Amino acid sequence: MKTKANLWVRLKVIDLVAQTAWMTLTEKMGFAGDLCGILRYSYWAMEAEGENASAVCEAIDREIRMDSAFTNQNKHLYSLAVTSGGDGAAAGDLSIDRDFPRVKCGGRIFACDLFVSEQGGGKDEGYASRLNARLSGAKVTGMKSGEVWRILVRAEDAEEAARKVEEMAVTRSRKHGLLLNPHYQAFEFIGTAEIDGQ
Amino acid sequence: MARSFTGKVAIIQFPGVNCEYETADAVRSVGLEADLLRWNEDPVLLEDAIGMIIPGGFSYQDRIRAGVVSAKDHIMDKLSELAGAGRPILGICNGAQVLVESGFIPGIHWERVDLALAPNVMEDRDGYYCSWTYLLRGGTDCVWTMAVGAEEVVPVPIAHAEGRFTTDDGEVLGEMKKNGQIILQYCTQAGQIDPAFPINPNGSIENMAGVCNREGNVLAMMPHPERATWLRQVPEDLGGGWGTKRKKAGGDSGKMETAGPGRIFFESLKRWKEGDA
Repeated sequence: MKTKANLWVRLKVIDLVAQTAWMTLTEKMGFAGDLCGILRYSYWAMEAEGENASAVCEAIDREIRMDSAFTNQNKHLYSLAVTSGGDGAAAGDLSIDRDFPRVKCGGRIFACDLFVSEQGGGKDEGYASRLNARLSGAKVTGMKSGEVWRILVRAEDAEEAARKVEEMAVTRSRKHGLLLNPHYQAFEFIGTAEIDGQ
Repeated sequence: MARSFTGKVAIIQFPGVNCEYETADAVRSVGLEADLLRWNEDPVLLEDAIGMIIPGGFSYQDRIRAGVVSAKDHIMDKLSELAGAGRPILGICNGAQVLVESGFIPGIHWERVDLALAPNVMEDRDGYYCSWTYLLRGGTDCVWTMAVGAEEVVPVPIAHAEGRFTTDDGEVLGEMKKNGQIILQYCTQAGQIDPAFPINPNGSIENMAGVCNREGNVLAMMPHPERATWLRQVPEDLGGGWGTKRKKAGGDSGKMETAGPGRIFFESLKRWKEGDA
């Protein structure tokens, strides 16, 4: 059975890279009024085959907990979700749908998940082989890896939120964009949701 | 007494760089004065400097992407102004990453980011890589290569994980080539351009090791000339004339303190200062 598996991993402690992004965007790039919070995750979107979602989830979970290329339980929290049609299974100690930074502004706030990856796949093949070498009861057939920036912005609607996030993220000039360089990195929005700022 | 950079080369010290002192020493080795300027000091101090160097290291711990956080710093406003006025600026390794992320290099559309220094692409490995490389001087006129002969091969070491010059803009690449901005290319000891690893140690397009702006006063180079400024820094087993020279100098401390191959980039600045254009 074909399944989709998404793995999100973030640090348990304060993420200094995300803190630096926050300070650079708000103090040096003029986004203090719009940026309300920021988190950073390592992210893997996989396609995998196995008996059913639960079996695939159990197999992948067993291996990612044993391999620090994916998670190190001393320093990471993670969320693994596997779906297949209406069937689903989950593992991990992170509730990704409720994981938001402390909101630092008012108004309508949208959380945008921006997936940043290396053009050409970067290390995707390596991650897939690494898992497949150890997996039993499942096989990874597709892999996309990179970082997800969960960016909270104040906006009138989701479209405006996406536009603001793109301005913050995509480095077009010295004064515009921080989080990715489009000459070797690609990006896509993988989720946008309005959240309760209170 | 107020600090002054009059007649000096300013070495810009962003938090996390680690090559500032040897870069200053390399500048002094050619008889020029050098001093360090912290990133958060008054940039007006730079107005009287004869040139600026952004040294290697890990500014802001390479957070987010090497060089990008420094590129957003206030001091870069002043560097942009001075570069526009023709003042020489050299970025070495992390400094090159800062200049690329600032859009000074290639600088065809000033401050537009038209290039990247992406993670190395190497055979059977990834990440950080240190090695001696050979650089072929090509391109046109650049302040920082004035003393390097056309087609001259200069051995200089590299040490980086993100040194792959790349762009997804074919027009920009065409312009760079037309303008002669690809001033240094990785090559064999004999000066042949070979795109294969390890001659090209990071997968840079066109074997780019150093790129100058169109006007010739700003250079971003990934290799470290300050680590090849004295003969004693050259390994004995380095192929070519410099390795032989080093081997012969063994045991003679006087000879060991003579110039190494990388000093020529600082000699170039001196020649420019003296008006030998």
